[in-house]
Amino acid sequence: MFRRGDKVEIFKKSEDEGWQDYMDEFVGFHGIVTDPDSNINDPDALIEVSLVDKGTHRIPQDCLRKLEE
Amino acid sequence: MSAGKCPVNSTIYRLKDMIEMNRLVDPYCRRIAEEILELIDDIAWGRAGEDHIPTIDSLSRELSEKGADDSCKETGEFVQTALQENMEVFVSHVKTHNCNTGECILLAPAPCQTACPAGIDVPSYVTLIGMGRDAEAIDVIRRDNPFPWVCGLVCTRPCEFMCVRARIDTPISIKFLKAFAAEKAMSDGQYRNPEKEPDKDKKVAVIGAGPAGMSAAYYLALKGYTVKIFEALPVAGGMMMVGIPRYRLPREVIDREAAMLEDLGVEFVFNTRFGKDITIEQLKEEGFEAFLFAIGAHKPYKLNIPGENDYPQVIDSIDILRNVALGERHSPGKKVVVIGGGNVAIDAARTCTRLGCEEVTIAYRRTHSEMPADEEEVEQAEEEGIKMSFLTVPVEIVGQDGKVTGLHCLRAEMITKAGSDRKFPVPVENSDFTIDADAVISAIGQQVDSEGFDTLTGLTWTRRNTIDVNRACMETSIQGVFAAGDAVLGPATIVEAIGGGKKAAQAIDRYLSGIPQPKLPPVPVRRGRLDFMEVPASTKMSLKRPEMPLLNFNRRRVTFQQVELGYSENAVREEARRCLRCDVCRRCGACVDVCRDRMEINALKLGYLDFDHPVQTDFRETADRCIACGACAENCPNGAMIIEDVGDERVLSICGTILNRLKLEYCEVCGTALGPAKYHDYITRRLKGIAKTTEGRSICVECARKMAAHQHNEEIIPIR
Ligand SMILES: Cc1cc2nc3c(=O)[nH]c(=O)nc-3n(C[C@H](O)[C@H](O)[C@H](O)COP(=O)(O)OP(=O)(O)OC[C@H]3O[C@@H](n4cnc5c(N)ncnc54)[C@H](O)[C@@H]3O)c2cc1C
Ligand code: SF4
Repeated sequence: MFRRGDKVEIFKKSEDEGWQDYMDEFVGFHGIVTDPDSNINDPDALIEVSLVDKGTHRIPQDCLRKLEE
Repeated sequence: MSAGKCPVNSTIYRLKDMIEMNRLVDPYCRRIAEEILELIDDIAWGRAGEDHIPTIDSLSRELSEKGADDSCKETGEFVQTALQENMEVFVSHVKTHNCNTGECILLAPAPCQTACPAGIDVPSYVTLIGMGRDAEAIDVIRRDNPFPWVCGLVCTRPCEFMCVRARIDTPISIKFLKAFAAEKAMSDGQYRNPEKEPDKDKKVAVIGAGPAGMSAAYYLALKGYTVKIFEALPVAGGMMMVGIPRYRLPREVIDREAAMLEDLGVEFVFNTRFGKDITIEQLKEEGFEAFLFAIGAHKPYKLNIPGENDYPQVIDSIDILRNVALGERHSPGKKVVVIGGGNVAIDAARTCTRLGCEEVTIAYRRTHSEMPADEEEVEQAEEEGIKMSFLTVPVEIVGQDGKVTGLHCLRAEMITKAGSDRKFPVPVENSDFTIDADAVISAIGQQVDSEGFDTLTGLTWTRRNTIDVNRACMETSIQGVFAAGDAVLGPATIVEAIGGGKKAAQAIDRYLSGIPQPKLPPVPVRRGRLDFMEVPASTKMSLKRPEMPLLNFNRRRVTFQQVELGYSENAVREEARRCLRCDVCRRCGACVDVCRDRMEINALKLGYLDFDHPVQTDFRETADRCIACGACAENCPNGAMIIEDVGDERVLSICGTILNRLKLEYCEVCGTALGPAKYHDYITRRLKGIAKTTEGRSICVECARKMAAHQHNEEIIPIR
């Protein structure tokens, strides 16, 4: 479960339809979760992640992993 | 074009200059030049497709061959020449998404600006606010976001999460600074619209007057389109108006900012639901050529438990919030249970308290630490007396004589299931209990209401029941039909809706002008490079993010008055001074490297430069070791680190933060400035020839050379 402020990495492409072609180049990038699903913490929801140098995007959760602080 | 420079970048600069200096007076020519600029911008940012270069070629040819006057022709010829002479570099930018010179990177926005879904130039407006130039700050914000006041009060502020200052202590309070400036500009009568482009005589229909639809309408109107917004409700604002309660966002704020759209000529048609009152065919007949669906996500999920449909006192949070926003003031009951743990549940519960409910309980199936609602919101709700019942799974709504009497629940425990690192609430057998209640409000999420959209044949939907678009340009599966906001993302945020609306407006403009769509989403545009504000290192380190003053508890419990009272002017100006100006300092670390490795001084303790492994920063420590040699400034690629002689001092600063200030020494022989004593000592220690010549005296290179020649000493090496 991701929370606001978690540091994350996009560690793979997602097969989910919410993954856009232009996101392929995000793999390996680090960022911060800026808006998880703030209603029900649905693991299937697209969540908002701000990536270093790549902007803020709604991304499927299966391609994200938390980075140890 | 000069050697070593990126021709793509130089073409942008020159073309921008031609446009901004008003050299292109013919409106048609100016418009084409702006389109060319946008396309070259795409190329610089590696978001261009194969059509970009041929389109630039044909547009610039049109200017040079058919331009109305000499300046048009000259502009067209300039672009033609730049393209022909540097075709390989342009093509390589398109194909590799890379700029070999790295120059295009120097145009890169700061992390806060990159993080903002609307792409606002944060460092520029924060600096303007620091300088007391609030109206100009609002002008800068509104180039990318027409709702600075709304966002200043309720934005989820992704920018603050990426703020580099957080690596030192706490992020800049970007959101509240924006609210202050918007309020001040409005109150001073200086909150203004930019100039519109001439009328294009083309009509665009926007469905939905939420932030996505209104933002698109704003940018389309500025481009000269005739825009009509069709809205199902009797008011503008979408969820900003009928979702977010008034104690967080006063109605006047939305009304004032929405009215700015009307001033631009945007027409609102209220009480008109697409799919019921109007169809796309009717709109096409009325002459609309492009359509934006920005209908939000207003259909609540069902609880799917017994009793849900049996009592009028079972209400959905979206309904109660909307009714209250539209003027309803009756309390739903004395004892209310709100089901859910998110922000909407908190808003519904706090609204009930203000409506006079005596006891409000939030029932949530997981624990406090798993609540998806923002911590500050939960804290404020608890302060207002709202009770929390955690690990509570609703199983049935019970009642008598057609009235709710309670919510029957089971206790849950959190259990990790095999193959998952996520804990799930699992009901405990025989743990049932009932929470007494005379009203139950569900707040377990919303989805897009697609009723009436079956007539839009060819429109594809995702499995999440959102409108399927290419998110680089918000185009749907139907040509000329675009979508943005929650309708595309599912329940998301205002600033994402604004960013999506702006992106859709750009794409609609491209569509109606026959220009290809970009392959990647837009990269935020820097809106200027402001002077630095001078701040001593000790002040920079000691300034603290101000606390937000809140309305007192009693008033919070009984009125819808705004809870957050806003910063004082002094706090705002001081807070802006904490900003590190990351639009100029790119955090490449060249200054730290040269000081440590080449000069072997290691005076720069700038631990914030790295995102992954930030270490301690202390601007004050530089002065302990720095000799003001200037090697760091010499190696700074973007003019962030500056060394200059001011009066009788040599001053080293990074983006205006004064790191060191040393008294200058003067040549004992000829009187020219030598640099500070520390620097001079360092050099003389290193250069024994001079040391020998000068014997500890302050003597400039020229004089030392003369003396050395005199002494037949050939070891002298030139110094600064
Ligand atoms: C209770 C609550 C609190 C929130 N708090 C925050 C917050 O603090 N910060 C934040 O950033 N976000 C918050 N949000 C989310 C935010 O409000 C939304 O993400 C945002 O408003 C979405 O904008 P939108 O323009 O896509 O849609 P909306 O704002 O939902 O606007 C859509 C508009 O379309 C109209 N419409 C729908 N169907 C039709 C139709 N068929 N024909 C004509 N019109 C139609 C609707 O009536 C509505 O006016 C909150 C949401 C809720 C529910
Ligand atoms: S310190 Fe200033 S420029 Fe840097 S990220 Fe924060 S607000 Fe933006």
